[in-house]
Amino acid sequence: MFRSMLEAFKNLFKPVRTHPYPAEDIVLPSGYRGLIEYGIDACIFCDKCEKVCPPGAILFYQHESGEKEYRYNPWLCIYCGECVRACPKPEEALWQSEIKQRPAVVEDGANEGWFAWEEACKKSREEYAAAKKAAKTQNKSEE
Amino acid sequence: MKKTVQIPLGSQHISLLEPIRFKFECENEKIIGVDADVGFVHRGVELACTRSFEFKQVGYVVARVCGLCAITHSLSYTLAAEKLLGYEANDRIKYLRMLMVELDRIHSHMLCLAHTAENAGFEALFMQIMSDRELVMEVQEAISGNRVQFDYISIGGVNRDLTPELSALVHKNLTLLSEKVDMLIGLFENNWSLSLKYKGVGVLSLEDAYTYNALGPLARAAGLATDVRAETNDFPYEALGYKMILESTGDIHARNFVRLREIVNSIEMCRNIIDNLPSGEIQEKAKGKPNGEAVVRVEAPRGELFYLVRGNGQNMLERVRIKTPTFSAIPAMMEVFKGAEYADAPAILASFDPCMSCTAK
Ligand code: SF4
Ligand code: SF4
Repeated sequence: MFRSMLEAFKNLFKPVRTHPYPAEDIVLPSGYRGLIEYGIDACIFCDKCEKVCPPGAILFYQHESGEKEYRYNPWLCIYCGECVRACPKPEEALWQSEIKQRPAVVEDGANEGWFAWEEACKKSREEYAAAKKAAKTQNKSEE
Repeated sequence: MKKTVQIPLGSQHISLLEPIRFKFECENEKIIGVDADVGFVHRGVELACTRSFEFKQVGYVVARVCGLCAITHSLSYTLAAEKLLGYEANDRIKYLRMLMVELDRIHSHMLCLAHTAENAGFEALFMQIMSDRELVMEVQEAISGNRVQFDYISIGGVNRDLTPELSALVHKNLTLLSEKVDMLIGLFENNWSLSLKYKGVGVLSLEDAYTYNALGPLARAAGLATDVRAETNDFPYEALGYKMILESTGDIHARNFVRLREIVNSIEMCRNIIDNLPSGEIQEKAKGKPNGEAVVRVEAPRGELFYLVRGNGQNMLERVRIKTPTFSAIPAMMEVFKGAEYADAPAILASFDPCMSCTAK
C-alpha cells in the first residue's frame, strides 16, 4: 500500500502520456497516406485510376467536345493508393500527398453532391457514346 | 419447483461493447444455461465482394470487415486470390506480410488484455496498457501510412517497402514494448486483485475445448494445441522462432497468459523478420483472372480465420466466404459460461476477445 501511494505521488510529476489534441496538432509520420492530388497537364485520360478505385472516388465526366473532367471525392477515398499505382504517369498526373483531409461539412455535399455527380457522369458517358455511334452510322450512310 | 431467472446481456448493454446478445438462465447467481444471438450488424460484405467489386479490389473491401485484424483479412483474401492465379510471392513479400500480421497480433492482444484489466475494475491498468499499445500502433502507422486501415497488402505483393529508418523504429519500439510486457506479466501474475478475480474463473476444460471446437487463445489456454501458424506452410514461421504457447488451466488467467506470452513470442518473431529480411521486389505482377476454388486459413489474433474464394475466370468473383474466429468459437464460449457466476460474465466475455461485428459482417 505504501508502495502504491509512492507510485501515485511520483506519477504526479511525470509528463502526461495523452496528446492534447485540438490544442496541439498530431504529428503525422512521414509517408502518411494523404489526399490524392491530380495534375491535369500530364494526365492522358486513360481512365485507369477510375477503374481500379475500390470505392469509386475518382470519376471522369465526359464533355460533348470529347474532353474529360476529373473529379475526386476525398471523403469517399480510402487512401489505398491503388490509383497512383495504376496511373501510367505517377508523380506527374496523380500522386499521394501527405495532407490530411478535414472532415466534411454540409456545404461540401460529400454525399448528395457526389451521388448527383455520379449520375451525371454516367449519363454524360452514355450520351457521348450514343452520339458517337449516331455519327458513325451517319458517316457510313453518307458513304 | 426449480426457479430460474432469465437475464439478458447485450446487445445494447453497458458492460458489453459488442453487438451480441446472450440470454443467461440463472439459478440464484449461477448461470445454468446460455443462449447466444449474433447478427446485429449485418453489412453484406460477402455479397458486396461478388457483386460490386472486382477481384482486385476485394482485398480492400474485406479489410473493412474488422478494424483490428484488417491486415489478417486482406492477407487471407490475397493468399486465396493468389492461389487461384497460380502466383507465389517471393520471400521478401512473405516476410513483410508476416511482420504486419505479427504486429497486428501484438496490438490486438494488448487491447484484449486492457479490456480484461478494465473488467477486473483495474481502470488504471487499462489506461496503461492502452498507452503502451501506442508503441505498436506507431510502428504500424509508420510502415503502412495509416493507423487503422492499413491497406498494406495487395495482390502480387505489398504496397510499401521497409526502409532502414523504419526497421530502426520497429526495433526501438519493440524493445520499449518488451520491457512493458515483462512488467505486465509480473502484474498479471502477482497482483492480488487480478489473480483473485481471474484464477479459476471461466474455466474451459481440455475435453470441452475438443468437443466444442475451440480455437485461438481460448483453446491454447485450455491446453489444446491448435494454431494455424503451425499447421500450414504458407509462411516460414518455424524458421523465425515461432513457438506454440500453451497453458493448461483454461481459466481467464490462463487466457491472459497465453496472450501475454504470445506477445513476447511475436516481438521476437518481428525482430527476426527485420534482421533476416531477404532482398527482392515488393510488388510483382500476378496475371490472369481467378479460376477455381481456394481455401485459405490464417491465424488471426483471435484464432483461425477461414476464407473460401471461388472464381470463374471473370473479373467478378463467384463466391467469397469468410468465417471469422469468434463465430467458430461461440459454442465453446457458451460452454464456459455454464456454471459461472453471473457477476463474472462480463469479465469472462472480455477474456474471449470477441469480435462480433466481424462475425456478423
Ligand atoms: S487512393 Fe484508393 S480510394 Fe482513393 S482515389 Fe485512389 S484508388 Fe480510390
Ligand atoms: S490513371 Fe493517371 S493518366 Fe490515367 S486518367 Fe488517371 S490520372 Fe490520368
